[in-house]
Amino acid sequence: MGEGTPMGFWELVADLVLMPLVAFVVGLALVLMARRVRARIERRVGPPVMQPVYDIVKLYSKRTQISHGWMHDVAIMLLLGGFITAEIFLPVPGMNGLAQHGDLLTLIYIMMVPMLGMALGVGDCANPNGSIGISRALTAMLAYDVPYIIAVIGACMVYGTSNLVEIVEIQQAGGPATWGIATMPLLAVAGLISMHGMLGKEPFEIYIAPAEIATGPMVEMSGKYMGALFVMQCFQLYTVGVLYTTLFLGGGEMWLTFLPKVFAVILVFVAITNVFGRLRTDDVIAWMWKWPTGIALLGLLLVMIDV
Amino acid sequence: MNEQVPAVADDAPEACRTPDAEERSLWRRVMDQVADHCRSRSLFVLHYCTGCGAVELPPTITSRFDMERVGVSPMVTPRQADLLLITGYLSVKTLKRVILSYEQMQSPKYVLGFGSCTINGGMYWNSYATVKRLDQYIPVDGFIAGCMPRPEAVQQVFLDLMARIDAGQANAWRDYYLDYNRYLGHQAALFGEDWHTPTDVVAEARHYGHFGPGTTGVHTARLETYTEWAMSKIPELLPERGANEKVRP
Repeated sequence: MGEGTPMGFWELVADLVLMPLVAFVVGLALVLMARRVRARIERRVGPPVMQPVYDIVKLYSKRTQISHGWMHDVAIMLLLGGFITAEIFLPVPGMNGLAQHGDLLTLIYIMMVPMLGMALGVGDCANPNGSIGISRALTAMLAYDVPYIIAVIGACMVYGTSNLVEIVEIQQAGGPATWGIATMPLLAVAGLISMHGMLGKEPFEIYIAPAEIATGPMVEMSGKYMGALFVMQCFQLYTVGVLYTTLFLGGGEMWLTFLPKVFAVILVFVAITNVFGRLRTDDVIAWMWKWPTGIALLGLLLVMIDV
Repeated sequence: MNEQVPAVADDAPEACRTPDAEERSLWRRVMDQVADHCRSRSLFVLHYCTGCGAVELPPTITSRFDMERVGVSPMVTPRQADLLLITGYLSVKTLKRVILSYEQMQSPKYVLGFGSCTINGGMYWNSYATVKRLDQYIPVDGFIAGCMPRPEAVQQVFLDLMARIDAGQANAWRDYYLDYNRYLGHQAALFGEDWHTPTDVVAEARHYGHFGPGTTGVHTARLETYTEWAMSKIPELLPERGANEKVRP
């Protein structure tokens, strides 16, 4: 459908509405899977199917609220808005949204907005646990962004484009042999590790650290604010899973082949998470700048020699 | 629909609960039932583990009994929690922290007392430093008798509480607003006359529509003099913020 025609416009509007909704529903399923898998690893039964919905509805139906100032409120909008915007730039089967108009670099930029929003909002709470948490979160961001950016740049070099729609088309046309995980395995490994760091799960969850700083940035979030964070968690799992699938696992032409890949990526993260302890902040930086960055640089070197 | 329900008026007589027009609407009732159901199936628990009951909680939550099956999961801060577990005896000093934590939780919130210690002091009944009856200081939704209750008993009280929340009957948190004067009086009798918390419970009760005849009284009057004194100090200490703070109700 060409640009500027009325049909193209309404299709775009439908995409912009549907993409975040689909992301939210798939995100709920991803959260449920993460909790169920964690329970099975601990030999428990785990929560019922509707548990993520129960949690969100309950948090949004709290009768009292504590706001710590207008920046605290704006922060929640930045958090959710950043992720909802990111969904619009992520191509999924049948829906491209704005992915043709903004490339991978736009997406990387937008995905930093939620964390910065969180930092601004937590600063307004004046809770020392929150301040410690957010300083650790931004430090962790500094750690995982280096291998992440190298992996993304290497992928762009291999595909010869930073347009996500074209990246999916290249991989779909060539079959599994042209998937990122086959053409650049080292970058795929570095991308997996750095995106795990992005999710803030063990062993990189020092900024949440429930037993130490009482969930860090989330410590003062109550009721609807906490509900917004639960919604954000759905979007976060979905965004990371879909981005990894798009870059390294060939994306998808239809939901039936696309969703299993997204769930498999998150399953890898969840399985890693549940068998690790927690690294200290300085260890996170040292480890992230040593191993994933080294692997990513080596992968980049191989890519450049091949090119 | 029900003709016997009195209309809301400014000079309405003091009833135990005046139903408002909005609450009677079908839409509001359905939404309240949905919300109550979700509340009952998702309880985030804050453990106040200073007593012996703490040892019964790991088996309740981990693989032996797994309370996540019914949506009960531990949380670490009062802001995020719905249910406060007082697991055993409280000394006068720890009760202060319990009240601070309780006031930080967001309503609807629930409190469960573990074991005989929270009911009548238990084996510490003659101690000078131990709180005898928890429900004099904060509203309690349920007690578990025993010394100590087994995880099966803990599970049973969770299920009972869930059934009551689902039916919209677990409203003890409203008593703290409606009867704040009495609770504050008991607290002050234990902690001394200058006892106050950072939370302005009276203002919250007004704001959220839970202000009743028992909210203010002899004991809350003392708080107002303290607030006046604190407000009078603001312009000296923070002249640039003085005007801003004074506007607050």
